[in-house]
Amino acid sequence: MNIRHIAQKAGVSVATVSRVLNHPESVATATKEKIEAIIAQEEYTPNWFARGLNFNKTATIGLMIPHIMNPMHMEIAKGVEDVAQHKDYTTFMCNVEDNVEKEKQYLENLIKRRVDGIVFISSLLGEKDLCIADEQGIPVVMIGENRETLKYPVVRVDCQNAAYEATKHLLEIGHHDIAMLYGKKPEIENRQKIEGYKTALKEAGIAVNDEFIISVENTIEGGYLGGKKYIDMEKRPQAVFATSDLLAFGVIDAMKDNDISVPKEMAVIGFDNIRMSNLIEPKLTTVEKPLHKMGVLGARLLFDMIESKEKEEKQPPKEILLQAKLKIRKSCGHKERIGEMF
Amino acid sequence: MTNMLTDFVGLKMKNPFIIAAGPWNRDGSSTKKGLLAGAGAVITETIVSDAMLDVRPRIAYNGFGAQNIRLYSDIQVEGWEHEMDIAKSAGGIVIASVSAHTPSELAYLASKMEKFGADAIEISVSNPAKEGLEVLASNPDVIFDMTREVVSNVRIPVIVKLSQNSTNISRVAKAVQKAGGSAVSAINSVRCILGVDIEKAEPSLPTYGGYSGVPIRPLGLASVATIAQTSDIPICGVGGIDNFRNAVEYMMLGASAVQVGTAVMIHGFERITEMVEQLEEWCDSHGISDVQEIRGKALKNLKSFDEMKIEPAISISDGRPCREGCNECVRSCVYNAIEKTGNEVKAIGDRCTGCGLCTSLCPIKKLHMKW
Repeated sequence: MNIRHIAQKAGVSVATVSRVLNHPESVATATKEKIEAIIAQEEYTPNWFARGLNFNKTATIGLMIPHIMNPMHMEIAKGVEDVAQHKDYTTFMCNVEDNVEKEKQYLENLIKRRVDGIVFISSLLGEKDLCIADEQGIPVVMIGENRETLKYPVVRVDCQNAAYEATKHLLEIGHHDIAMLYGKKPEIENRQKIEGYKTALKEAGIAVNDEFIISVENTIEGGYLGGKKYIDMEKRPQAVFATSDLLAFGVIDAMKDNDISVPKEMAVIGFDNIRMSNLIEPKLTTVEKPLHKMGVLGARLLFDMIESKEKEEKQPPKEILLQAKLKIRKSCGHKERIGEMF
Repeated sequence: MTNMLTDFVGLKMKNPFIIAAGPWNRDGSSTKKGLLAGAGAVITETIVSDAMLDVRPRIAYNGFGAQNIRLYSDIQVEGWEHEMDIAKSAGGIVIASVSAHTPSELAYLASKMEKFGADAIEISVSNPAKEGLEVLASNPDVIFDMTREVVSNVRIPVIVKLSQNSTNISRVAKAVQKAGGSAVSAINSVRCILGVDIEKAEPSLPTYGGYSGVPIRPLGLASVATIAQTSDIPICGVGGIDNFRNAVEYMMLGASAVQVGTAVMIHGFERITEMVEQLEEWCDSHGISDVQEIRGKALKNLKSFDEMKIEPAISISDGRPCREGCNECVRSCVYNAIEKTGNEVKAIGDRCTGCGLCTSLCPIKKLHMKW
């Protein structure tokens, strides 16, 4: 069944059926109802790909996800998809698996499939790689920061200030020897976290101990290995600030395996506030990254661009900076219950 | 006939009553109800970038005031496009209340609401629940940055809702003005725990919330007067307005317009219709030609300790018989200065120090301060 069959059955032109599908307000009510009834009866659905060719629009967007196994990315992805679905768009989710070649390949494929826009989460690509989207006039939005991609609209999180607050929290509890375990990616965000951490230590008059700053893969396993390194140190830190909750889970696991009590003998603080951080024992003190909101806003910026492109308006790239907030729970030995209330 | 038209930040309202942001304005059709009931404008429930799930229960009332732990609108921004159309479908002024944590997030949200047809923006970063021990709106620098960013991204007026949970509301109001804000609203709900069930050892609601309704009115009145004595920024009075008299009180202390919230939630939207009618009647009966003449009238009677002329006044009865069995003034006089004989009370001149408490307590108001 195609549009011609519907037109024939209704005794109208193809153009009239097309108007019912695309600009129903321009068709007389009686004609519209008649055609709609036939469409329903014949269970006709328009060919979306062909539609894309005609209208230069496929009602699809691409979403690049660094790693689908990381729950943080799932929450961001849900935010993007929620907005896309509301706009009646389908989202192609591409699992990059931290592989730059895979991300490039996906970008090419999305462009071939004529998506109307692409959202990148902590993209591995630089402006040079991304320009193929610009050449096709496909809007691009960034969520989170990995590399410098200044020319695109971005939703970022103030990781530096959040890391500063998290480190200050450990200092206020009375910890002095504070280690930082950071993931290799996303680069820019983790650099900001290290800056925040160092600033808080300096303000407290504590010299930064470079031995305490260790880089690992951003996984639970990476966290475990990092935790093990701290345990084996001659002078162990009293607290570990991990740049993600996954790393923090690994650190806690390593402590448990070595009979080191968290938080009594070792405080652990994470970053992200993925849902599981409230379920592990002890409940993880962390920094709440507004994950779903990042996704929602990233998608909104993208649809702003798609819509302004349709209207042929120009708009300057927008940047939205979001706040990340300390979420005090039980893994750092904090005594004041009021801190957990707000 | 009194002219009730109120020009507030350029919004031409038919009277000074605005329905405040709150769950009673949770969507387009509930927002429209306030306009149909006769309000000069309505403010949507506070809209955020990412709507959150509600907790249950979330509103409690103890007969005086209400505690509310519903944080924000549960409708996403995309949904508000349609809700704004519904809200505005009967005509009338709709103000969008928005909240966020950073200037860029707030400005983006405000510009969306402007695009959806909002006539003005009310920035509400003064929620006393969840957002932090220190309410965001208690910090003048934060308020300055947020207001300035919103003002430079929208063309409609920007009002900033202030909080009683701040040490110096004057400084915050000045920051709003300096940043180009058009007006302030004062006050938002006040951090509270409504009560404790002593049998179960359980607070009325499971977390800290915002207190609203009649009991917070004196706090709101003081805040409005403070702002009016600080700057000339237009003020919208909010907090515990239950009848038209309360609206007059706020206006006499400097408010150009007033917001009503909890009274609508408890008594229904007809309370607004009543207030509008009764304010007009009162103004008429007092020979007021324009409702804005009331504004600031009581401020000249608000004095510093220094300026108060201390008269040697004592409590004097006007001679009417006391209410049967009433002993209020005698019992409460901390100076032991009132004696009761039969149905008459008398303050003993050298013991009465003129504190005035008995004149407030007397149920038939027969005691007056005189000398």
